[in-house]
Amino acid sequence: MAGPIYIADDQGAVRAVQLDGLTALFHAPSGMTHLVAPPAPQILDALRQGPADARTLLARISAVYEIEEGSAEAIEARLDELEAAGLVRRA
Amino acid sequence: MGDVMSEQSSKEGVLANPTRRTVLALGAAAASTVVTIRPALAQTVGSVMNCEIPVPGPEHSGQYIAADGSLVAPGTPGSFAPPARPITGEEAKTLLRGGLTPNGMDSQSAQAYANYIRRLQSGMSGFTCYASLQLPR
Repeated sequence: MAGPIYIADDQGAVRAVQLDGLTALFHAPSGMTHLVAPPAPQILDALRQGPADARTLLARISAVYEIEEGSAEAIEARLDELEAAGLVRRA
Repeated sequence: MGDVMSEQSSKEGVLANPTRRTVLALGAAAASTVVTIRPALAQTVGSVMNCEIPVPGPEHSGQYIAADGSLVAPGTPGSFAPPARPITGEEAKTLLRGGLTPNGMDSQSAQAYANYIRRLQSGMSGFTCYASLQLPR
């Protein structure tokens, strides 16, 4: 069964500043600033390629990075965090 | 010359070998990777209740508001005169949730004002007040 489809705002809505391993994101539509650690920026980048569910997103990420066993559960937890912060939303 | 060649081929080797790619740890199910910094204005309930959104902002004073919230020339058919006073944060909050129309405003113009507020962007008067209304919890 396919999980929920997630969407990220495009790059123009989010200003990113690299801060020594962390990334500060200013999300213009909400006026909020978020400090994110890897893998959050990588997940957002992968999601900007188009709306995707957790499994598709994992496939996009694993095309670029080595990922560990058991990542499916972890990516869902990361998506929940990003959704709570307002950086991703469900389609 | 020979050194350059061998350096190039070893670089290609790294790119071609999937086991040498960057490892991205997706973390444990419980680890948090996001910290949200909220605008200082939103830290007290009082400030949200008391902040005001001028419709339109002083930079566009005198313009009318179309039903979709865009600003148009005064008297444009189908548009609404600006409200006589700014809309408070508390009024905007209930209005945007489809609730009560602020006192002294009719419901059609209030919908146009609500659309104007939804279109506010950073740097426009009332944006910080609007942003603070959007905060979760």
